[in-house]
Amino acid sequence: MYRRNFIIIAVMIFAAFSCFGQQKISMCHFQFHSINNVGLLEGQAGSAFHLQTINGVQYKSWFTGAGVGLDSYRYRTIPLFLDIRKEFGKTPNKILLFGDAGINFYWARDRDVKQFYSNDKIKNGFYGELGAGYKFRLNAKMSIIFSGSYSYKTLEETGGDYYYNMPFFLPGAAAYSPVAERIHYNLNRVLLKVGVEF
Amino acid sequence: MINTVQPFYIFQLMLLMLSGCMKDKITKTYQIRTPVYEVLSQFRESIKSQPAAEMSATGKIAVAGNYIFISELYKGIHVIDNSDPSHPKNASFINVPGNEDLAIINNTLYADAFGDLVTFDITDPLHAEAKNFAANVFPDHSIYYYSGADNVNPDSINVIIGWTVRDTTVDYEPGGSVYPVYYAANCANCATIAANLSSSVNTGNSGTSGSLSRFAILNDYLYAVSYSQLRSFDISNKFSPSYKNSFTVDWHVETIYPFKGKLFVGTNNGVYMYDAAASPSNPTPLGAFTHVRGCDPVVADDDYAYVTINDSSACLGFNNELQIVNVKDLNAPSLVQSYQLTHPVGLSKDGNLLFVCDSKDGLKIYNADNVNNLQLIRQMKDGEAVDVIAMNGLAIMIAADGLYQYDYSDINNIHLISKL
Repeated sequence: MYRRNFIIIAVMIFAAFSCFGQQKISMCHFQFHSINNVGLLEGQAGSAFHLQTINGVQYKSWFTGAGVGLDSYRYRTIPLFLDIRKEFGKTPNKILLFGDAGINFYWARDRDVKQFYSNDKIKNGFYGELGAGYKFRLNAKMSIIFSGSYSYKTLEETGGDYYYNMPFFLPGAAAYSPVAERIHYNLNRVLLKVGVEF
Repeated sequence: MINTVQPFYIFQLMLLMLSGCMKDKITKTYQIRTPVYEVLSQFRESIKSQPAAEMSATGKIAVAGNYIFISELYKGIHVIDNSDPSHPKNASFINVPGNEDLAIINNTLYADAFGDLVTFDITDPLHAEAKNFAANVFPDHSIYYYSGADNVNPDSINVIIGWTVRDTTVDYEPGGSVYPVYYAANCANCATIAANLSSSVNTGNSGTSGSLSRFAILNDYLYAVSYSQLRSFDISNKFSPSYKNSFTVDWHVETIYPFKGKLFVGTNNGVYMYDAAASPSNPTPLGAFTHVRGCDPVVADDDYAYVTINDSSACLGFNNELQIVNVKDLNAPSLVQSYQLTHPVGLSKDGNLLFVCDSKDGLKIYNADNVNNLQLIRQMKDGEAVDVIAMNGLAIMIAADGLYQYDYSDINNIHLISKL
């Protein structure tokens, strides 16, 4: 199943590149598109800024591409993901449904509040998004997309807090040692975006 | 178009409203440790000789006959067969959880085990046998017994000998703190131990202890110093020491050194001298020599006491020096001379030779004929020197990384003969 999907996507991407120089040839149904969004993430931790660019190919009403973004909800991350979307409607303006899946790469900030005193490390996690949007066609080459989605990202923070070995009041036993612990972040957000597709 | 767009706007509105329902799921995974108990009397059965163990955190040192006894801090005592000093053998290990100090006389070894005093028969040093447990005689190191409690019955006291560890996951709010849970409560008479469950030989008469020792044997008495107290035990019945007395010396008492009926007690603030000849169970205070604050092992001969002071953080000191104190009149000791050193610790005196462990600078050997002008004969930089016993031409030095032995029978050719 995964293998078949991979082959389909690979063929589409290959076809898109092969169509770069021949977009006016009607026989070529694959077209390269770039979708660039800005957005607002809303979740339990408040609001956060979101940016993403998705570049890929369209075949009839289907689009697939690779995306990269900036997600500053709780810990700042760089999501790298695969995007698949389907357009509906026969008018120039279309409703679309889309889904993203990929990896979050943690990008540290000075103001990040780490949860462990020592050996604090944040591991990369999963990034996913499911949503719907509406595409207004401005002209033959450009559209504006409004979309709303459920966005999900995970991270794992590991580290060691120092604990006294019991009984702490005794010499020798008073040595304290780091204990490995893990914090799992499963972050659920609503993401409202506006973007330009060309 | 309106018909198409309308549902989308409604969708976005719904999403915006739903954002209030979006909850992050954040969990923290950590370890819960549950204690494993054993009755104290049963636990004591593990206090005996075991196969030799690797030396790692060595502490006090004592020599008896052909054997060297080295405390492994809070775990037990290494027994080194030193029949051939050029080839010492780590022969066995006496498991004594909570051990810090030891003293030896004839075939009897006294060692502390947290608050208890354990008496071993070391007729065969490789198979030491615990003969007696004097319960709670060092209450400031005690963990078996509740403070002020009368119950010292080992059959009714539980000891924590280990922990079973399992992971657990709980909801977590970043910024808060979740701590591992140690279930040591709800157990009357429970104690916790940093446990390491892990041929007739002539051992001579009284063993010789290092200058860092907190135990000293003088005649039929064992003297032990703790944080502020000096305690005396009658050991005329060698396998059944009898606690006699205790009194306050000073705060932060560190070492005790016996010499010709006198006791020299080193503290952070100075050296206190006691006469133990007249009243051995309750030594009589003599003079005191106070100095700047610092850790201070002490040894003495007929005329002088040799005191090292170092700046270990535990002693709140700032000086690193050797002080020589005139103790011809024990009631009026006076400073003779001071020598700056790097970080002096243990020391030993044999005849006119003074051996000083100067930590990373190694072992320094002085000609002490003239205390006003010590002459450095040799400096042995083999290890980070901690304590030394020098006698009969053999200097036995405990260092951070093991046991070193030097032959000084010819002071012009002092040399390392073994390292263990």
